[in-house]
Amino acid sequence: MRAKTLQDLLKKGDRIAVSNITGREAQKVSVISQGYCGNIVAGWALGKDGQKITVGGPNNIPVFGQFEDMMNNLPKSKKPNKIIVYSPPDAVYGDVKEVVRFGKGIVETIYVITEHVAIEVTAKLKTLCNEANIDIVGCNTLGIINAHDGVRIGAVGGDSPSESFIPGSVTIISNSGNMVNTISSYLQSNGLGISFGISTGKDALILTQLKDLLPLVEKDEKTKIVVLYIEPGGTYEKEAIEWMKKKKFSKPVITFIAGSFAEGIDVSLGHAGAVVEGKDTSASAKMAMFDDYFSIEPFDPAKPEKAEKAIAKAKKGVRVNTLHALVPAATALLRALNISRDFKPKRPLSLNPWIVGLGPKANNLPRNLILYQGIIPPPYDELVQKQIKSGLGRTVSKQNMRNASHASSNDGSIPRIYGYSLMNLMEEASFARATLLYWIGEKPTHNFEVELFEMCLIASLTNGPGTISAIGAKVSASAGNEANTAMMTTLGSMGLTHGGNGKKAAKLLIDRFSGTDMKNPYSKKDAPDLDAMVKDHVNNFRKLKAHAKDAGVDYEKIPCLGHPVFNKDAINYDPREREVTKYLENHKRYNVFLDYYHRLTKELMNQGATSKAHAVNVDAAISCVCMGIAWPFLVDKKITVERAIDLPLITFALGRVSGGAGEYLDHRESGSGMDMRVPVSECKSLTRSKD
Amino acid sequence: MSLKIGELTFLEQLASRFGIPTPDHLVEPVPQSKLQEKLKKWGSGIVKPDVLSGKRGKAGTIRKVDNAQDAIKTLKNVAASEVSDQQPRTAYVVQTVPADYEIFTAITYNSSLLGPSLTISLKGGMDIESVDEKDKVTIPVDVFQGLNAYQASEALSRLGMEGKLNSRLSLVFVKLWDMFTSTGMMSCEVNPWRVTKNGEIYACDFKATFDESNRKTSDSGIDWPEYPTKETQFESEMKSWSASSHQGQAHVSMLGGQRILPMLFGGGASTITVETLSQVGGEPIFLSDFGGNPPYQRMKGTASICFDNFLHTCSLLLILGGKANNTLIDVTFSAIADALQECVDDKGPVDIPVVIGRGGAHLVQGFAALKKTLDNCSLPYVIFGPDTPITLVAEYAANLAISYEKLKKGAAK
Repeated sequence: MRAKTLQDLLKKGDRIAVSNITGREAQKVSVISQGYCGNIVAGWALGKDGQKITVGGPNNIPVFGQFEDMMNNLPKSKKPNKIIVYSPPDAVYGDVKEVVRFGKGIVETIYVITEHVAIEVTAKLKTLCNEANIDIVGCNTLGIINAHDGVRIGAVGGDSPSESFIPGSVTIISNSGNMVNTISSYLQSNGLGISFGISTGKDALILTQLKDLLPLVEKDEKTKIVVLYIEPGGTYEKEAIEWMKKKKFSKPVITFIAGSFAEGIDVSLGHAGAVVEGKDTSASAKMAMFDDYFSIEPFDPAKPEKAEKAIAKAKKGVRVNTLHALVPAATALLRALNISRDFKPKRPLSLNPWIVGLGPKANNLPRNLILYQGIIPPPYDELVQKQIKSGLGRTVSKQNMRNASHASSNDGSIPRIYGYSLMNLMEEASFARATLLYWIGEKPTHNFEVELFEMCLIASLTNGPGTISAIGAKVSASAGNEANTAMMTTLGSMGLTHGGNGKKAAKLLIDRFSGTDMKNPYSKKDAPDLDAMVKDHVNNFRKLKAHAKDAGVDYEKIPCLGHPVFNKDAINYDPREREVTKYLENHKRYNVFLDYYHRLTKELMNQGATSKAHAVNVDAAISCVCMGIAWPFLVDKKITVERAIDLPLITFALGRVSGGAGEYLDHRESGSGMDMRVPVSECKSLTRSKD
Repeated sequence: MSLKIGELTFLEQLASRFGIPTPDHLVEPVPQSKLQEKLKKWGSGIVKPDVLSGKRGKAGTIRKVDNAQDAIKTLKNVAASEVSDQQPRTAYVVQTVPADYEIFTAITYNSSLLGPSLTISLKGGMDIESVDEKDKVTIPVDVFQGLNAYQASEALSRLGMEGKLNSRLSLVFVKLWDMFTSTGMMSCEVNPWRVTKNGEIYACDFKATFDESNRKTSDSGIDWPEYPTKETQFESEMKSWSASSHQGQAHVSMLGGQRILPMLFGGGASTITVETLSQVGGEPIFLSDFGGNPPYQRMKGTASICFDNFLHTCSLLLILGGKANNTLIDVTFSAIADALQECVDDKGPVDIPVVIGRGGAHLVQGFAALKKTLDNCSLPYVIFGPDTPITLVAEYAANLAISYEKLKKGAAK
């Protein structure tokens, strides 16, 4: 080994370079690592020269085409001394050879993450690296973490390394990468943190093995205890034990050896190397070897005091038979050898169910099997509350949608929208109904909803030629564009201020109503206590407004109240909203959201938050109609909250783009080219000439 | 992953290609006249099953024959007799080689030397593990330069073999190395080499394991023998599904249990979960590893095969892994949820509890997706986060499965 200490394997200040960095896994892990410790200086991937892996700020990772280019172009202070190999199996040999050739004298350690590297290649890698005095870890390692320095290489610690790896006095050496994380989490129940977590990999040949690592552990002052996770295969442990005996290894060890269940049956375990080759390599042989080294019986969780006495006497450590017995075994070891904890123990290891739905049969189960929801730790508690308990909206997962769609299909003869034949929809002859199906994924529940939706589309058609979306269409016509371009210009002239305010209203309504049990938005009986809700809403708004004014900063206004035209009276109305209200009244229908908005304007005035009752504008009306349609689907978790929030904006956009087409047709026929141009004489320059 | 071959494939496809001397042989079915002619020439023959049996498992089925009628009968009997629970692919007869010496050789990748090594013993013909350490020699082989005759000769000298035979054997061992390194082998064993009074050398039994990750294996041109297996339909389905893509893992190894259907993630986690289940009576159906961040379609396919085969016969569904390093939990769990829903839609409702434990990216979205389906299917469930040790979850699942079985039996009565 080139490394003389564990720090030599990884420390703060080490500079990491990543092979095949643009690959799916390499890129994802590199971004997380960069957020955790920012130690990656560059990466390389054939044909990807000049790209950057975006992390944010100064930590973006430059990508080079080849290792040699990278070494030639990086300044001396950034030349990497540690390499992670994420190359595909067939490329590993070539990449390591390149590292050895062009990184000799600079590169100290290579970590090969790649799985399925041929054993012949693995043996060649070892020879190559030995000759170049470079240490190589793997293949199929997950990497290493130095918790005291807060740095890692590879994916040890997953997406939140600081959560599992609190600095402390244990070094974990594991054949399984995942077990490094798991064991570290377990030990937090003992108040034990981590010095180093090392995944050796478990291919048939382990290139940096236990007997190489233990001498480094012996010298690591921060390591007081060693925990080993071992699988069958290889003579690595035999040789390590011989070394420990010979050198009188001073640090206590707790060992878990997996895989005894596979003995006698033809099962290959999860790792390639976990193949039993002969005596000394089986799980039971390794257990016997460690028991002999420890000179005590394996830990019995029922008799911790007995184990404590035995450990105190032999002073070498103990083997556990189940992984969760690590925790009581570590407690016994701490007591026996008078080793202090690193921090106050975290929650004891026990069953802590997050979600329980055992149903009526649970009553007949033995008491120890009837579980109740435990305490969900942060940050998961809020997420569970939001995504599972709140009960509103569907949670969907991401998948590759390149050639896939839930929304439409075509079997070669029948185009469908969410499974409904387009021809049948044509027979129904309602564009509004078909559009709602396309947007929601289900047909609207009531006919009056379709009519209200159509009214919203009509309301969105125009608010006169001066609105910026209409001007957009006219400018496009004036420039000589085709109709489709003019329609796009109409859409492009819309935004969160013009047309998008309805989206904010939808979000507000969902936020306010998501805590209620309301199922039917069209039933006054089912409505929550709206007066109390608006009082609370306005009260909070008033406080927010007052604080903002005191601080001299802007504040978030309540969306969709007020209108630049309809704002002169003590109580104001937007006539388009009135049409929606009139329809509801005429058809003896109720919409809880519109009611809420009307009460809100009044309460704002009552509490002196505004000087007059603002108009509930057309954007609010559209939002209330859309939320009425969407609400039952949200309650039934058939659509996402995000989809519901988008509905008012796309409704407005659909109506207004038709209006834009109308403006285009008129302007193209009657206007002259470039007539929307503003003459130079009417333009003001706000900058002085500088040359 | 590895491929294995026995003596017959070596005799038929490899030995002559690499100039390794072997006795003459015939494969069943063989015409009586041909057998008569050969046995007349050989004096006698040895009938062997073509089977991949570990250790010296097939020793009991090997028969010596000296006339064609016996030989035909024996070939048919041996071909039809199971060896260590395995059905032979066929049977064959090889020329008997009277020997003065029996020599053992093995070339393998050595975990102690971290490279290839050659082991030789002059006490061939017996199980090498029972040969005394002083009677065998292991020498490292440079993986770049390969084995040379001088090295092999020196190893033989250390065992006390000198003279012409030493030279002849050394040259043959170099040929053996050439075959080993040209075809992507992980290990090969000739036990024994038999040496006649005249000093003729024959490789008289052979087995080898190939590294499927080595491109030389697929390029070796070997027509891989298909051995009869006791593989269930599920195993063959999973095998071909597993081989169909490298995205995510889809490994299963049958364990013989029927109680718990374990969908496990991560090599280490799956090992310790199955270990715990086995210790506490969980009787897992198989050992699985479905980690490696499988995309949605891959995970759904894997889950569908498992559910189609076992969902309606097992007593509990266990979905368990540690805190994932790379796997996206929402993607894998949504895929499992959709496969579960489809299986219940197709085959009817099931009444089994489901125990889930996992950690990793997008965890809560994954839980939400599974919970929705479990609610839809009216399946009882308990979901654990990464703060509960997976071995405790496994122990709980085993006890829950046993109790549910009792409840169901009670209700049935």
